[in-house]
Amino acid sequence: MTGAQKRRMRDQLEAFAYLAPAGLILLIFWFLPVLLALIVSFFDATALTPIGDFNWVGLSQYTRAFQDEDFVQSLWNTLNYTVYSVPPTLALSLIAALLLNSKIKGRAFFRTAFFLPYVTTWVAISIVWTYLFNREAGLANWLFRVITEDILGGSYQDLAWLAEPKGIFEMMFGYTVPDLALGLNAIPEGPSLAMFCIIVTSIWRDIGYFMIIFLAGLQSIDHSYYEAADIDGATPFQKFWAITFPLLSPVTFFLLVISMIGAFKIFVPMLVMTPDGGPDGTTSPIVFYMYSIGFTGQWELSYASAIAYILTIIILVLTVAQNRVFGKKVEYGQ
Amino acid sequence: MIDLQFIAFLFLLLNVAAIAAVTVIYYLPERTGRLIKISRACKSFLLYETLVAGALFMLLPFYWMVVTSFKDAEMASSPNPIFLPQHMEYRYPANAPEADQQAVMVLSQRRRQGETVDVAPVEDVDFVLEETDGITRPRLQPKEGSLFQVDPEMLASDPVNRLDGRNFLVAWFRPEEATRGRVNFGQYFWVSSFTGIVSTFGTLITSALAAFAFAKMRFWGKGAFFYIVLLTMMVPGQVLLIPNFLILAKIGWLDTYFALIVPYLASVFTIFLMRQFFMGVPDDLWDAAQIDGAGRFRFLWQIITPLSKPVYITAGIFLFLGNWNALLWPLIVTSSPEMRTLMVGLQAFSQDAGSEFHLLMAASTMAILPIVILFFLMQRFFIQGIARTGLK
Repeated sequence: MTGAQKRRMRDQLEAFAYLAPAGLILLIFWFLPVLLALIVSFFDATALTPIGDFNWVGLSQYTRAFQDEDFVQSLWNTLNYTVYSVPPTLALSLIAALLLNSKIKGRAFFRTAFFLPYVTTWVAISIVWTYLFNREAGLANWLFRVITEDILGGSYQDLAWLAEPKGIFEMMFGYTVPDLALGLNAIPEGPSLAMFCIIVTSIWRDIGYFMIIFLAGLQSIDHSYYEAADIDGATPFQKFWAITFPLLSPVTFFLLVISMIGAFKIFVPMLVMTPDGGPDGTTSPIVFYMYSIGFTGQWELSYASAIAYILTIIILVLTVAQNRVFGKKVEYGQ
Repeated sequence: MIDLQFIAFLFLLLNVAAIAAVTVIYYLPERTGRLIKISRACKSFLLYETLVAGALFMLLPFYWMVVTSFKDAEMASSPNPIFLPQHMEYRYPANAPEADQQAVMVLSQRRRQGETVDVAPVEDVDFVLEETDGITRPRLQPKEGSLFQVDPEMLASDPVNRLDGRNFLVAWFRPEEATRGRVNFGQYFWVSSFTGIVSTFGTLITSALAAFAFAKMRFWGKGAFFYIVLLTMMVPGQVLLIPNFLILAKIGWLDTYFALIVPYLASVFTIFLMRQFFMGVPDDLWDAAQIDGAGRFRFLWQIITPLSKPVYITAGIFLFLGNWNALLWPLIVTSSPEMRTLMVGLQAFSQDAGSEFHLLMAASTMAILPIVILFFLMQRFFIQGIARTGLK
């Protein structure tokens, strides 16, 4: 070996030594498990059967999932949660960012106030909102009672927020929905009132996070565009649609994708606010169902693995969609 | 007394109007003659109005949480909420002997009419922590020479009914009843802090090493390795739960500190963040260090690390926060109460305490407090760290 070769060899070994600690952890607790989960999902393992007694069942855990009404329900719940929580969160946080993106007094205070819910933990704030939505003692019922009874002079029937399986549109507009197959209805009944409560909680929590990212995006827009628009006499409305919105769209799209991915993985508020899966199972999302299948009751690890893989595929599709659009803009290279 | 409910309603109405008006006025053309001046003044007023309303909506749950944690059970479950602490009126336990209850009613009535009453029931009872069979229980004890002949047994059976700031103590020790004196919130805090600190520092070290190799060293397969590492970011953590559970069961680590710390000792996001930062360190520094006879490790430890303090702090905060707030993984790998993290303990407590909202709010306040303090100390890093993720 020449001297240069020796040196290169030594550099190579040194580099691997630096990579080893993180690499080993990733290998054992990330790469290996991803394969293991796939393998486990082809068996009929439960935590209660001894290792070695498992049978190969092929894809039947996957076919079972789509025949399982509870799983389809949880898929539907997750979709409901995503569709009704992501757009309002984005819209409200954009509004908050626009309002805060000017020289106003107390900007730091408002920013902190909006951001605070995101810092605090899901478990604790879920407990707080469970209290706010409590039927007897919650502030929500009190507020509506005061408005309808004391101010409008009507009568108010206390709502059982977190125990109400009826869809919110159904409740608001008073129609009943014919129940077709797979939870699909002719008229949208909306998320159940219980799910709606969880959606409100999660919007409340996430506004601040998205607002901060929107603010950073707004501040990176070149000011000269606005000056040019001012000279042309554009209204704020025009300025928003012609300048702000298009220039902000990469940020908006990024947030849309990560919030959708986050929404598909939602679990904690459901576990705390409706530990039994909610009224008629309407607040049990995929991860919640996976947890209750895999780690309670029968401990059906294989079936839970299959469900986890279905979730992974959904999320991979979302991520790939994100990379398609962002691939050119994000520099991952060396 | 001014009707607080009415004020709250007026405020709400005003805000709905403000939000509507601000949207309308915001979109008015600037050049509409005399309207301009009115609309400017109006705009800034309504802007603040909207912001204040928004901030109230964001902060109200926190306010409500803190205020409720100072109430007694009856006040916390009352359908007519009490907003201000000075309107709180502590009462005797609902199951106190009837004669005492009547006496309390008479007393509080007289007090409300403005009379000074010497002996108030609240001041008449002592709060003591008592340990029996290894379980700490709060207890109410009538003071000596008390006006009320309260049966101590009665009070002991329902001790939380008449507590103010002491809800925190009661909540703190309450898990002892469900776990036969084995743990209280002190243990939960310990587990969370210990695993949080150890895994944060551990992850910072492994990530800094890997990031250094990716940023400053040339070796075979660098691009491929980096791509593989990035791939793990795409896999949702949920798919790892079951196999990791099986792996830990095989090693025999379930229900130990190892289970809470080791699997998350590497963070791809942190590696990525640090690599970006390290790449900005000029190579001249490395040349200079070599001339001074420093090896690579010394270069990383004595030159790059002090230069990269902000990125260490930002990454450290998010790692600690993620660890502190994690629920699903600790829930799965811990089974004994001693190994519960604060979040698992809080979740168990919320199942346990059911509708004792004054205690639940006290426990939530305790769980949130360290994070909120950390946030206010490190706010700059929080905000910068998050703002950066959106602008990749």
